[in-house]
Amino acid sequence: MENKITQLRKGILELAILGALSHGRHYGYSLVRTIAGGSDIDLTEGTIYPILGRLAKEGLVQSEWVESSQGPPRKYYTLTLKGERTFRVLEGEFRKLAAIVSNAQKGTAPDDRGEHLNVLDVAKESKNG
Amino acid sequence: MANGFSGPVAQIVDNYLERLKKGLKGIPAKDQDELVKEITSHIYESFRADTEGDEVSRILRVLDKLGEPAAVISARMPEAMVTLGKKRKLPFLILAGVLIAFFGVPLGLGGLGAAIGLIIGLLALVVSFYVVAFSLILTGWLSAVFMIVRIFSPGFLDPWIDIYPLVSDPTFNTVIYIVGALLIAALGFGLLWLGSRLMRGVRFVFRFLFEKMRNWRKRAPVPTQ
Repeated sequence: MENKITQLRKGILELAILGALSHGRHYGYSLVRTIAGGSDIDLTEGTIYPILGRLAKEGLVQSEWVESSQGPPRKYYTLTLKGERTFRVLEGEFRKLAAIVSNAQKGTAPDDRGEHLNVLDVAKESKNG
Repeated sequence: MANGFSGPVAQIVDNYLERLKKGLKGIPAKDQDELVKEITSHIYESFRADTEGDEVSRILRVLDKLGEPAAVISARMPEAMVTLGKKRKLPFLILAGVLIAFFGVPLGLGGLGAAIGLIIGLLALVVSFYVVAFSLILTGWLSAVFMIVRIFSPGFLDPWIDIYPLVSDPTFNTVIYIVGALLIAALGFGLLWLGSRLMRGVRFVFRFLFEKMRNWRKRAPVPTQ
């Protein structure tokens, strides 16, 4: 279960990061604040760095070090052209998937109470999961 | 180490950054520096934004929100190290391609030849290993079956095989041979099991070497600041 949550989070976080960067450049901490939206969402802030590293490797974002008026320099990230294109595609896909999930939640079980059905076989629970 | 903090806060931050660096061993020095600088900046910004309570509880809260160093570096570890944990059947053709990609290019044409030779040699070794394992299994089972048939019809295959009497009682003698044959088959299965273990080991060693080569190649050009 833990693994599934991690997988889901990684995918959504990646999309969220691209989305935030599509509105302008960010450094790591400002990105975290933007994504969390000021509220205290349970987000392990450090997890955005591996994702940013991967996005950079894939050429979706680029980074530059900028002097800060206060404290150490900040590493700013911006979307590349490829990153913008990818974000638009992913966002469209995400909307479709979100619609599927909300449809599924509204759904009802098939209306087969009238029929007389025997249980043929009960699938055994898988051990590796 | 200067991290922009002072007193106990600086010590706590240092300790965290040291643990982070430990986890980064094996990735290129330049990437290590960048990530440490980036996390230092994060800690600074987060610390500055959080103004409730004394400095120590502030910094502990900051690091708690940031997460353990493992969370920060997980996907930065070399790709191979991440995938190593998963069971993945790696076809030898891909392995060969990777070998040539990493060894062939830096070593020139001679290296390419050596790499191909190495792969063919390894393949031959693997094939002969499995041939031996399977023939042991086949021999063991066939002999056992013949011997079992001979219990019920003692003359079976007599013109073709000659069975040395280990003990005077022929039935007991046959049973000894059946047990022997089954042991040979078991040895074959044992080899198969050993083979799968060996393959895993070989894969691990190769992945490890590729990573070393890749890091070495990345580090080769003079780092630009």
